[in-house]
Amino acid sequence: MGLTLYHFVALGAVLFCIGLYGAISKKNAVAVLMGIEIMLNAVNITLVGFSFFNTVKPYSTFLTGQIFAIFIITVAAAEAAVALAMIISIYRKRSTVDVGEIDMMRW
Amino acid sequence: MDVATLLFWIVAVILVGAALMVVMLRSVVHSALALVVVFGMAAGIYLLLNAEFIAIVQILIYAGAVTILILFALMLTRTENINRDSNPTNRLWWLALIICVLVGAGTILAVTISPHAVAVTGNGSGQIPANINNVVRIGQLLYSPSSYSYVLPFEIASLVLLVAIVGAIVIGREEDQ
Amino acid sequence: MALYYGSWLILFSPLFSFAVIVFGTRVWDLLSRPVKATAAQREEAHEESDIHYIKKEGPRGEEEVLEDDEDPKVPYLTMGAKASGYVAIVIVGLACIYSWILLLNTAGVISIAPPLPASGVTIFSYNWFVQPGGLVSYVITFRIDTLAIAMMTVVTTVSLLVYFYSQGYMENSAGYARFFAYLSLFTFSMLDIVFAANFLVIFIGWELVGLSSYLLIGFWINKAAKPAEDRPSPASAAIEAFIANRVGDVGFIIGIMILFANTGTFDFATLAGSGPHSVTHAFAGNLGLLTLAMILVFCGAIGKSAQVPLHVWLPSAMEGPTPVSALIHAATMVAAGVYMVARTYPLFLAAGPQALGVVAWVGAITAIFAATIALTQYDLKRILAFSTISQLGYMFVGLGVAGAEYGPGPGMFHLFTHAFFKALLFLGAGSVLHAMHHALHRETQDMRYMGGLAKFMPVTAITFLVATLAISGFPFFSGFFSKDTIIGLTFDRGDYALYIITLLTAGLTAFYMLRAYILTFGGKGGEFGGLWGGPYRGAAGVPGVPWGRLENDQGVAHEGTPHESPLTMTIPLVLLAIASIVAGYWFGFFSYVYPPAPVLNFGAILTDWKTWVGVLVSFIGLGWAYYLYCVVGWVAVGNVVYNNPLLNFLHRVTLHKYYVSEFYALLIRYGVLGLSHVEAAFDTYVVDGIVNGVAALVRGAGRDLRHVETGRVQAYMIGFFGGVAVLAILVFVLVTFVQ
Repeated sequence: MGLTLYHFVALGAVLFCIGLYGAISKKNAVAVLMGIEIMLNAVNITLVGFSFFNTVKPYSTFLTGQIFAIFIITVAAAEAAVALAMIISIYRKRSTVDVGEIDMMRW
Repeated sequence: MDVATLLFWIVAVILVGAALMVVMLRSVVHSALALVVVFGMAAGIYLLLNAEFIAIVQILIYAGAVTILILFALMLTRTENINRDSNPTNRLWWLALIICVLVGAGTILAVTISPHAVAVTGNGSGQIPANINNVVRIGQLLYSPSSYSYVLPFEIASLVLLVAIVGAIVIGREEDQ
Repeated sequence: MALYYGSWLILFSPLFSFAVIVFGTRVWDLLSRPVKATAAQREEAHEESDIHYIKKEGPRGEEEVLEDDEDPKVPYLTMGAKASGYVAIVIVGLACIYSWILLLNTAGVISIAPPLPASGVTIFSYNWFVQPGGLVSYVITFRIDTLAIAMMTVVTTVSLLVYFYSQGYMENSAGYARFFAYLSLFTFSMLDIVFAANFLVIFIGWELVGLSSYLLIGFWINKAAKPAEDRPSPASAAIEAFIANRVGDVGFIIGIMILFANTGTFDFATLAGSGPHSVTHAFAGNLGLLTLAMILVFCGAIGKSAQVPLHVWLPSAMEGPTPVSALIHAATMVAAGVYMVARTYPLFLAAGPQALGVVAWVGAITAIFAATIALTQYDLKRILAFSTISQLGYMFVGLGVAGAEYGPGPGMFHLFTHAFFKALLFLGAGSVLHAMHHALHRETQDMRYMGGLAKFMPVTAITFLVATLAISGFPFFSGFFSKDTIIGLTFDRGDYALYIITLLTAGLTAFYMLRAYILTFGGKGGEFGGLWGGPYRGAAGVPGVPWGRLENDQGVAHEGTPHESPLTMTIPLVLLAIASIVAGYWFGFFSYVYPPAPVLNFGAILTDWKTWVGVLVSFIGLGWAYYLYCVVGWVAVGNVVYNNPLLNFLHRVTLHKYYVSEFYALLIRYGVLGLSHVEAAFDTYVVDGIVNGVAALVRGAGRDLRHVETGRVQAYMIGFFGGVAVLAILVFVLVTFVQ
């Protein structure tokens, strides 16, 4: 059968949806963050897959997907740090990490 | 089935299973540990795709730093029933399920059976000069000042990291009385 | 011919006097009044006039207020007020002289100008709105012919006498100048009706006399109602008059519109002629529609001339000052309906016989209806009011039975004579009421407090007697000629039912008029067998009268003696008495007004048996009244009536005027107001419901859509990715299945 691009895209899609489910339906803020991390990883997998199966010349574009993945990893790490700092700060103020209770922007 | 395909399927199954465990386990600490497995398996996928540098970076950053961060956050936001039911789902989980299934199915179907999908993808690994490994290549693409490179995004990314560090410290510190 | 063309002066001079009074002399009067009288002035005024101050508890403690605030008086009339009176009288006097000249000229007595053509002379025409295509043309046109000249003579003469009389009656009244202004406006409006040459102009005058009547009836603004005496306040009486007229005007307007829609013109001469726009041409195959239109036009006359069923306003209109009752509600305004029917008589002739039949029967029913009511009334002016209604019924009977042979002659002749003796009756009543007010210091119109006044007020009594005999049809007075002609015509035409009704009414008329005379001026025990003088009841009234002695607000009964009225009031009485006798002798009236009619033959009248039957009936009426009230005595008659159940019932029903007013009140309360409640509910719930419903819808939508914004990120993500899912499906479907 051999590996084709479709395998990796499908894998990425499945992972993305699992991560999306976790981000939408979890009450714990850290669990939501974990779902987001899964989503980012799914995107990374898809990008690197595209870069591997790339047939477009010139040579310099072959690894664009991997460069993209590097930057995503970087930014994801920074974002995880800041998000977790926020969660801790909210926990100190409200004694809860339930995202359903953080609704001060409601009508 | 050749070795690559077999490896792919093993890694993929473990990956997806671990991801499912992340979202379905009742204890959030167990979810965090499953997340480590997810990161690890993702690194395996990268190796299958000839992206050794990315795989190492994945282990270093994700499985190393991010996981520790998450565990520290869990420790600092400990609630009473941390091991019994600290990872509940909200009321609209069924709606989320439907949406996720639809999005996933839509994506997969669009790629596989749609007549507009690209018919042929080849394997571009044969076009890279053999004696340049992945790390060198990425280094060239990131830092090269003369030929085509991504040095500007690199510099900006470092700025982003700086801001994130300072921001995380500012947000996360305790208020002085 | 200049004589005729100059008659626009007659028409517009009262309007000019109105303007002069309102903007000139009345302003002068108001500016020159003293601010407040000093105590010494009040003392002096108290003795001489009707100013009486009494101590009363007011909002600022005890204060002195006018005793009779209902009819505010001033200590003396300023020059401005007197000038208002003079201006009005002089101008109407000149108009009266001019119209008499016109009358005498066209009747052939004097000869200043050539005779009037039969179709009349257009003296003024103004194109108000004329469409170039000729489809619609509204012009203001005034035209005079013999009918108009006869009417304008009556109007200006009676107006002049009433104005002169008002100087005495309204003396020291605070609204003296205003009164003359309104009187001038009324005269102008009435002349507008007289001079009108088309339906538009007559309608303008119609409404203006309604307005003037409203203003004049409600002249005493602050006067309250007296429910114990069944008397409304002048303000509500004025509204009642206007509305009753308005109800009749609905039919009037519809009738005019039907005529206009079919013929395209409003002009009387065009409608009555034989051209393409005349009624004979336009309604050629559709006589029923023309009959209907003329009956509707007659509805306006029903309202204006107080026929049944719209008669209710005339008794209430007696709340106005008595000169107003004399001028408007006896001689002129109520005669406007008769005049209008006379004016449009060719149209009535062209319509089917039902139109004139309706006119005659409405008149007959009204005549007997009002006559029966007048038999038992106590209020002097109310008897005269019902007498007016009854006589107007006679006029309409006269118009209805005359047909093409006599034209509007008989009806107009009765209008002519009636104007004089009815005005005389009202002015005489006014003289009596004025004297009683002075004597009792309290305003009352009830005859039970009068009696035997003939020895105090001889001139008034004599003239009142003359008028009574005239209205009863006593031989050789004016009413004899006009009334018996009409009664005879009903017999000649074969309308025996109408004959019986009108004959019976004549008897009833004689009875109640003599009863009124005896109760006021005579009484059992006076001279001439009770016809002159007798017991004066005064403030004590009749023993057993429901509200006892007449006392004023302070509980004091003033017992003065009545005295004769001043010359300004008695001169018009005498003049009208002369006219009441003499006016009947103009035998050429029929042919004057309607050239094809025959001249009344004096000898033929005397030898006709119907005349003497009528005279016999009226003698029976007079004799029975004399017997009951001079021989038997009023109190005894009253006892007999109260003790007999049938008589008592009839007495009560007629005293309450057959409860027609109560019926109308119920009709309005449950009919009109009920309908208005339905419409108000419709407006509140349907119309406002829609408007408020839209607003509520918006508000509800806002309130419910607010909940979309939960503030929770996960909800927003659901929305976001839900949209992505929908788009994914959409793209997939489109891409796969749609090429």
